[in-house]
Amino acid sequence: MTTFQSNPGNGGPSSNGSQAQGNQGQDGFGHRVDRIGSDAQQLWDDARGAVTDLQDTLDLKGRVDRNPYLMMAAALGVGYVLGGGLFTRTTGRLLRLGVRLAALPMVKDELIGMAEAALRGVETGARMAGTGNAGGSDRPQGSQV
Amino acid sequence: MDVNPQQIQDKARQLQENLLPQIDEARRNLEDVNTRVVSFIRANPGTCLLGAVAVGFIIGRIASRR
Repeated sequence: MTTFQSNPGNGGPSSNGSQAQGNQGQDGFGHRVDRIGSDAQQLWDDARGAVTDLQDTLDLKGRVDRNPYLMMAAALGVGYVLGGGLFTRTTGRLLRLGVRLAALPMVKDELIGMAEAALRGVETGARMAGTGNAGGSDRPQGSQV
Repeated sequence: MDVNPQQIQDKARQLQENLLPQIDEARRNLEDVNTRVVSFIRANPGTCLLGAVAVGFIIGRIASRR
């Protein structure tokens, strides 16, 4: 840091009052510049500390190391939102597609359950029909599936 | 049309024998590409994240204009 030295005065005992005043003014200016410089240095240190703290908190490098594709997708999403694509039809379509994809396993399980129940019903109906025919009943059977 | 099950079975086996090496090679290639991409992202996280944000920004701009 550059320090402005105040002028020690070259007049000696023969210097007049105006020169003394000038020296005093220079001295004040140098102090002010010193203070501004030290404040700027302090601000720079604080800013660097804040950035370091933020980096430690976010731990972007560690997160990218652990989940590279997820972080890339998150960055893509952040850019998409910053680009103004949030409240658009494309977002709606993407959300609908996502909901459908997320609901697919549930719907699949439900459909499989319904199909199994239907198959069981058909088997039970066929067994009952077979039992009824074996009993020699002439009565016409109901609706058979 | 006369269908011979033995012929169909042979054809299916031949197809499988032809396709399996290609599928294996494609899988190996994909794994190689995946390893390279992940290594690149891990080596340059800032660049990749900034690039992804930029690409997302452009997509967002295009989507908002429609």
